[in-house]
Amino acid sequence: MKGLIARIYKQMINDKRTLVLMLAAPLLILSLLYLLLGESSYMPKITIEKSFPASVVAELKKQNVRVTVVESGENADTLLKNSKADAVATMDMSGIHIKMLDSGNSKALKITEAFKAALADIYPMGSMNITYLYGGNGDTSFNSLGYVLLGVLSFFFVFIISGISFVRERENGTLERLMTTPVRRWEVIAGYTLGFGIFAAAQSVLVTLYTKYVLGMDFAGSLLLAVLLMVLLAFTAVSLGAFVSIFANNEFQVMQFIPVVVIPQIFFSGLIPIDTFPYGLGKLAYIMPVYYGCTGLENVMVRGYGIGEIQQYIYALLAVILFLFLLNVTALKKYRKL
Amino acid sequence: MINISKSFGNKSVLKNVSLTAQAGEILCLLGPSGSGKTTLIRLITGAIKPDEGEIMIKSKRIPDMSVIKSIGFMPQSDAIYTDLTGKDNLLFFGRLFKLPKDKLRQRVKEILELVDLQNDQNLLAANYSGGMRKRLSLAIALLHDPDILLLDEPTVGIDPVLRKVIWDQFEALRLAGKTIVVSTHVMDEAARCQRAALIYNGSLIENDSLENLTAKTKNGCLEELFFKAQEAGEAI
Repeated sequence: MKGLIARIYKQMINDKRTLVLMLAAPLLILSLLYLLLGESSYMPKITIEKSFPASVVAELKKQNVRVTVVESGENADTLLKNSKADAVATMDMSGIHIKMLDSGNSKALKITEAFKAALADIYPMGSMNITYLYGGNGDTSFNSLGYVLLGVLSFFFVFIISGISFVRERENGTLERLMTTPVRRWEVIAGYTLGFGIFAAAQSVLVTLYTKYVLGMDFAGSLLLAVLLMVLLAFTAVSLGAFVSIFANNEFQVMQFIPVVVIPQIFFSGLIPIDTFPYGLGKLAYIMPVYYGCTGLENVMVRGYGIGEIQQYIYALLAVILFLFLLNVTALKKYRKL
Repeated sequence: MINISKSFGNKSVLKNVSLTAQAGEILCLLGPSGSGKTTLIRLITGAIKPDEGEIMIKSKRIPDMSVIKSIGFMPQSDAIYTDLTGKDNLLFFGRLFKLPKDKLRQRVKEILELVDLQNDQNLLAANYSGGMRKRLSLAIALLHDPDILLLDEPTVGIDPVLRKVIWDQFEALRLAGKTIVVSTHVMDEAARCQRAALIYNGSLIENDSLENLTAKTKNGCLEELFFKAQEAGEAI
């Protein structure tokens, strides 16, 4: 088994491209995402009616928005549609009304936050009526996107690399040759899992540290716990890659498993709130390792939960790893009964 | 002692083939492409299971962990890791056979010299030529000093000079008491074996010592036996 681990280590070191892809690609994508979704310098344009007290307008101007004061907000729809304004605020007897183009984007979030901050001191009790020209009341899971993607991304890259290298081993006959040596079946799988696991773990640590220290994402909980979850998730990715390779005859066919194996897991990663899924489809999450990993990560990173509160996710991931391990060991019987 | 006796009814590939190789002889599996030679060798390694019949090596039924150690297998495809150096390939397989560290290092050195790769041992196998890959693959099969060698077309794509060198090595191994089962579709290679098994369309058409086989032909050319089988097949 140690021989296998050493071999995979040497292979990875010799194949710099794969190594760089595995380590750097998640960082690249996270950075891009961070830049696209994160703290942008864009200032939403808010058009506000003259009827608002000057103090509110003054307070709003202090926020990171551009404020235009108009006589009346009657032509709000036209303003919004022509992108003259991102939000139009009016006031009447029933309270404050804010109208925006559509819900569920970072602009809407910024505007709402700006208003909350501006009104907090003056009308702490004041109710805000937010309406959208298109779409409903959008409470998005945008905030958690980063945390979710952390898990999904490393899962994805590790899955591809382990799946392809295992299928290559089948394809060029080295696996069959391997099985004519006295190596045990479990040693092959364990060696593979641990060999790639080392790199997957390195990737997890790198990605987590990068997210915290370079991208400056908030970590409510323990960094160590987040890394542990990432590493476990990476191990499930290695095992799942090896498992899928049983059904693939070449690298291309491994790629074909991405829509079947990886993409559904992204839906269940917490990107879309699982309890909103109809027909009890949310229950499917229980068979998806990414669900356990990402929910655990969210709990640690956003909610700051400790090990006691997330231990079920750790156990679930361990169970998935063990299950896939046994499955893979059994599948090797195809090459040798013993 | 190697004792393979089997008959199995996998219609399309091999039909009721029974043969035995004696210790200290080179048994040649001779036949055209697609005749079932590779299947036969894979059956002997235990990589695939016969539908019927059984394969015995050292009076143990295959697959058997205690027998595996005494088999050296060289598949038809190179089956080496191209993203490792030649030396690392050998070290890896040596560790799978659980050779002790010092012995392994010694053995890798010896075997690299034997297949004349000592000057390229630190080169990635991806940069090896076809012949070098074959030699590396052969080196892996010989590394743990097995009693039985199963070699699937070891000299395909190898130039005549090197082919002679390799066959001289087989002869040396045979004299050292090893049993070698080698498949080939090159008829003149059979001349260097003690016994030849002629396989045609998945059937064993001849299995005899080389002298007896040559005696059956008019001009000492084993190809005649295949032509005969072909005519017989057409007659039916």
